Amino acid sequence: MAIDGFGDSAKERLSALADGELDRPGSTTSCAAWAGDAALRADWHAWHLIGDVLRSEDLASNPGHDRDFCAKLRLRLQAEPVVLAPMPAIAEPAGGRSDRRARPSRWAAAGAVAAGVVLVVGTFAVVRPGEWPTAQVAGGDAPVSIAASPVGAASTEEAAVQPVAIVADSKVFRDAQLERYLEAHKQFAGTSALGVPSAFLRSATVDSAAR
Amino acid sequence: MNAPDADAPLVERVKQGDVKAFEMLVVKYQRRIERLIGRMVRDVDLVPDIAQETFIRAYRALPQFRGDSAFYTWLYRIAVNTAKKSLMELKRDPLVTESARAGRDEDDDNPRVENEPSDAATPDAVLASKQIASAVNFAVEALSEDLRQAITLREIEGLSYEEIAELMNCPIGTVRSRIFRAREAIAARLRPLLDTREGDRW
Repeated sequence: MAIDGFGDSAKERLSALADGELDRPGSTTSCAAWAGDAALRADWHAWHLIGDVLRSEDLASNPGHDRDFCAKLRLRLQAEPVVLAPMPAIAEPAGGRSDRRARPSRWAAAGAVAAGVVLVVGTFAVVRPGEWPTAQVAGGDAPVSIAASPVGAASTEEAAVQPVAIVADSKVFRDAQLERYLEAHKQFAGTSALGVPSAFLRSATVDSAAR
Repeated sequence: MNAPDADAPLVERVKQGDVKAFEMLVVKYQRRIERLIGRMVRDVDLVPDIAQETFIRAYRALPQFRGDSAFYTWLYRIAVNTAKKSLMELKRDPLVTESARAGRDEDDDNPRVENEPSDAATPDAVLASKQIASAVNFAVEALSEDLRQAITLREIEGLSYEEIAELMNCPIGTVRSRIFRAREAIAARLRPLLDTREGDRW
């Protein structure tokens, strides 16, 4: 029906867009037409000015002022980085494209993960030297199960070395802690209810009870 | 307004990286935003600058705009915050702007001549605004009943095409065409007033 480039129909669609009554493909076409046609831009301004004046006469501004304002703002917008809100349709190809380059970072991520695990276990050993044999067993288990999952995630994840490493790192900490909580709970479920003096164990019980 | 936000299609375009769609929103709202800021900030010379800042901030923040409110409501809030911030900064670091000085020197016989006055305040600009307002009203009066009703229901009552179609008992396509023809007819009367400066194009 309406064909692109036919003056009036393109204008009429722009008018519909002004009212938010145009579908998505129509909006895309109309925006492109607006950007490429000074006459359409002048219409767009005139129509909105008309709407403003109809609603309130004190919005009838000097047209030269409007034009200057928008010209100035356009220059400032050109200096701005283009905004891009994350959308599912766009996120998909981005991951695929950087997949090849992500390969070396996978090892970096794995290294970071391993370092994180060592840190967790190390900290653990220092903080609780011999008090907690079962927890150390839990920590010893962690590298195998945890290291595997973030590496797999890193391969599908786009992105540079740093963010992946950080995300993986925090995951390790959280997961290992969770493991410990669960492990501790299993181990001391009965005894903590009877009143074990350690605050740490008590919070583990509460935590798992809330779950 | 309970109708879906009329700006949603343009906002979506901006979120996909279409800066021009944001310019379209600027053209649409610049007058309202400037009026709003003008009510908060006495100094008319500062109003366009604060309005510019408002739009730049809105552009930067747009990825976070979730559409929970209408786009204009969101923009309105940014304008209010930007104006407040400017007023605070002004209090801390007062600067004498052209119109503030003119206001103080009212009794002086030394009006502002050398510096270019801001166009919002000049008698010429006020006259131009008045001419536009009367041209619009005159053009609306001259419309056929159908066109006048359609444009009024849309612009003043804020109804959707569907609601107008129901009220006017005609297909939605007819509503769309009537509103468009009404706009064109009014714009035709405005054009001599709008195209005042040669070489200035939108």
